[in-house]
Amino acid sequence: MDETQLKAFVGIVQNYFDKITGNPAEVGTPFLGEPGDLPIHDFTGVIGISGNQRGCVYFSAPALMLREILLRAGETDLSDGNLADITGEIANTIAGNARREFGSEFLISVPVVVRGSGQHITMPKDVKAYVIPLRWRKIAASLVVSVGKA
Amino acid sequence: MLGFDLGKYRTIVISIALFLVLDLGVLVLNFVISSEIDKDAVNINLAGRQRMLSQRMAKTALQVEARAVQSVPFEKEAEELQAAHSTFDSTLNAFIAGGATLSGAGSEIRIDRIDDAKAQAILGEARALWTPFSTQVRALGDKGTATPEAAATLARQAENVNLGLLKLMNDLTTRSEQLSSDKATTLRLVQVGGITLATVNFLIILFHFLRHLRESDRLVERAKRETDNILRTTQEGLFLLDDRFAIGSQHSRALGGIIGTEQLAEQDFLGILRPMVTQKTLDTTREYIELLFKPEIKEKLVGSLNPLSHVEIHQAHGAGETSTRYLQFGFNRVRDESRITHLLVTANDITRRVKLEQELKATEERARGQMGMLVEILQVDPSDMHRFLQAANEGLHHINGQLMDQSGGKTEQKINAIYRITHRLKGDAGALGLSILAEPFHELEEVLSGLRGRSNVSGEDFLPVTVQLKALFEQLETVGSAVNRIGQVRGVVTVEPPRPRVETAETPPRVVGLWQSFAMQIAERQQRKVELIYSGIDLERLAPVLQDSVNGIVTQFLRNSVVHGIESPAERRQRGKPEAGRIAVYVSQRDDGGADLSFRDDGQGLSIAKLRDAAVRAGKLTAEEAATLDQRRIVALIFEPGISTRETADEDAGRGAGLDVVKDMITTLGGTVRIGSTPGEYCHFRVSLPAQPEQLLAA
Repeated sequence: MDETQLKAFVGIVQNYFDKITGNPAEVGTPFLGEPGDLPIHDFTGVIGISGNQRGCVYFSAPALMLREILLRAGETDLSDGNLADITGEIANTIAGNARREFGSEFLISVPVVVRGSGQHITMPKDVKAYVIPLRWRKIAASLVVSVGKA
Repeated sequence: MLGFDLGKYRTIVISIALFLVLDLGVLVLNFVISSEIDKDAVNINLAGRQRMLSQRMAKTALQVEARAVQSVPFEKEAEELQAAHSTFDSTLNAFIAGGATLSGAGSEIRIDRIDDAKAQAILGEARALWTPFSTQVRALGDKGTATPEAAATLARQAENVNLGLLKLMNDLTTRSEQLSSDKATTLRLVQVGGITLATVNFLIILFHFLRHLRESDRLVERAKRETDNILRTTQEGLFLLDDRFAIGSQHSRALGGIIGTEQLAEQDFLGILRPMVTQKTLDTTREYIELLFKPEIKEKLVGSLNPLSHVEIHQAHGAGETSTRYLQFGFNRVRDESRITHLLVTANDITRRVKLEQELKATEERARGQMGMLVEILQVDPSDMHRFLQAANEGLHHINGQLMDQSGGKTEQKINAIYRITHRLKGDAGALGLSILAEPFHELEEVLSGLRGRSNVSGEDFLPVTVQLKALFEQLETVGSAVNRIGQVRGVVTVEPPRPRVETAETPPRVVGLWQSFAMQIAERQQRKVELIYSGIDLERLAPVLQDSVNGIVTQFLRNSVVHGIESPAERRQRGKPEAGRIAVYVSQRDDGGADLSFRDDGQGLSIAKLRDAAVRAGKLTAEEAATLDQRRIVALIFEPGISTRETADEDAGRGAGLDVVKDMITTLGGTVRIGSTPGEYCHFRVSLPAQPEQLLAA
C-alpha cells in the first residue's frame, strides 16, 4: 500500500463527511500501530482486501460521532441498529470507491460491521498498520489500513 | 427422401406412418360403403312404394270403371290415378337409368341407376308390363270424362298387370335388400381386416421397439454409471459450459471443493466467479469464452489468452478474513458436427504448487537482494551492529511516538524532532557503512526537508513520512534477521580466535577505525583529503549510553568538519597547509564517570559572514537582525535546525542538520558544548557529558 493509495482512502472518508455533514473530517498525523494495539471505537466497519496484498481497512467511530452524523443527515432514529447501519454505509462507501480506484489491483470485500472490541477483526499478523486519526466536530475516530504482501 | 434425416428413428416413423395409412384406408372404405348402404336404403323404400303404387293404381282403375258405368263423375279418382302413375313411372325410369323422382316426403330426389344385373332384369320385366298399362292410363286423362267402355278396358288391363307388377316390385325390394346386406357384410370385413392389420402393426412396433428401447436404456444406464463414476472419482473439476455462460446440469464432485461452493449445476459461471476475481479478470474471461464459441477463431491460437489458466481467487469468511487460492481452468470446445455446442471446462486447485513456486522465487530474490546487504553487514563489528540496530529501533519508535502524539503541539517542532532522529540514524548508518539503511533514512530526510520549508502542514502531509517509516521498520527487521542468521553461522564456524575483550589505551579503539573509514568516505565524495588522529581512552570504558552518544557526536562533527571545515587540497596548498586536513579527536573519562570530548580540525574555521547569510536564507533572522547580532550568538546558530552554509544539499550535508542533532543529544544527556575557532586556522568543539542516571544507579 503506497502513499497514493493511502491518500485515496483518506480522501474517500473526507469526502463522505463533507458530503453528508457539510464538514470534512480533520486528519491527524498518521502513525504505525501494532496488530494487537489498534484503536477500536464503538462501531467498526471492516473491509477485507485481497489480491497482491492482503489485509483489511476499517473505519471505527464512537457512538457519539455516529449519532451526530445521523442527526446532521436528518435522522431521528438513533438506535444501535441505525448506528451500525451508518457505520456500514461509511464502510460501503469506502469499499465502493476503493473498488473503482483499485479494482484492478485488489479485491475488496463486502463490508462487515463489528460492535465493541475488535476481537472479531482479523488483522494481518506481524504487519504494522497505518493508523490515520480523524477528528470531526472534536470527536475522534480512526481509519486503519493494515495490509501485507499475500 | 423426406428432406431430413430420420436417423435411428427411421423404422419407427415408417411403422407409425403405415399404421396411419391403414387407419385412413379403413376410414375411406367405411365412408364409401356406408354411403352406398344409404343409397340402397332409399332404393328399398322406393321399391316398397312401387309395390304400394301398383296396388293403388289397380284399385283406382276399378273405382273409375264403377263410376263411369253409373255415369257418376270420377274426376278425383282420375287425378289420383294420374299421380300414382306419374310417381311409379318416374321411379321405375330412375331405377333403370338414374334420374329424378319424388321422395317419400314428396320432395324431388335424384337416384342412381341400380347397378346390378339381376335388379335390371327385374326392372326390364316390369317395364314390359308397365308400358301398355301406362299408355292406357295416360289416354284416360285426368278430367274424369272417359266413356264407360274406356274405363272398363283400363280396369281389365289393371287387373292383368296388377299381380305381375306387384310380384316384380316385391322381387326388386328383396333384391335391393340383398344388395344392401352384401355391402354391409363387405363393410364389416373391411373394418375387421383394417383393425386386424393395424393391431398387428402396433404389436410389431411395440415388441420391436420395446426391445430396442430396453437395449438403449441399458446402454444409457451403463454409460451414465460410468460417467457418474468418473465425475464422482476424478480429482479435477469437470463441467460443460454453454454459450450463455451457464454450467451444465452435471459436474464432477471435486468441482465444488475446488471452486468453494456446492450450488453449481445450471448456474451462471461468471456470476460464481464475480466475487472471487477482479473485474478486469472477469471481463477478460467473458471475452475469452465468447471467442471460443466463434467457429472462425482457431482454438489453439487463443489458448494463450486464457485469463483463468492461472488465476488467484479470494473468498471472504467474515470480518476482514479472506482466503486466497490459485485455480487453473482449461477450456476445450465440444462440437456436434461442425457446431460448437459447449466448452468442456477443467478446473484444478494449484494453490500448493503456486505457493511452492512463490516461496522458491521469494527465496531466490531474497538471496540475491541479501548478498549486498550481507557484504555490508559482515564488514561491521557485531557488537557495533547490535548497538546500532537497537538505537535505530528505538529511534524509529521515537519517531512513531512523535507521529502518534495528536495533542496539537507545534508541527514544526514535530518535524524537527523527527528530522533530528532521522539525521542521526542516517549518520550512524553511514558511519557503519550500511548504505542499505543510510539510503532509506536519507529518503525520509528528503521527505522531512520538503515539509520543513512549508507553512500549514496538515496531518495528511505526514502520510509519506509514515509510509517511509514503515519501510524503515521493515528494512531494519530484514537487516536484524540477517544479522541473527550471520550470528548463528559465526557461532558455529569460528574462523579466527576472538579478539581479547580488553584493549590497552595504546591500541586505537575499534570505533576509531570506523570514524577513519567514515571520514575517508565523505572526503572522497567531497574531493577532500583528510587524516584522523585519535588519542584518549578506549570508548568501551565508558558507559554504553555515553559510548553511543560520543560515537554519534563524533560522526556528526566528522561530517561537518570534512564538508564545511577542511578546504580542498588546492586551497590548502595555497594557504600553506598540508593537502590532507588534520582532525584530532580526544576522549577522556571524567571522575564522575562522564566523558569529555575534544574535536579539532585545521580547516577554515567558522565563517561569521556565511553563517549570517545562512540564517537569513533559512528565515531564522531578518537581514537587519543578522547584521546586528553579536558574534557569539551568530556562532551559536550552527546548532539551530535548518541552518547550513551550503547552498545545495547532498547526501553529506546542506540541509542544516547535523549540529542541531548534536546539540539535541548533548542537551538530552545534560552536557555542554563549547566552540573555539579562528577563521582560516581551526575549529574546535569541546563537549562535556556528565555521568548518566543509569550509571549512578548501577554504581
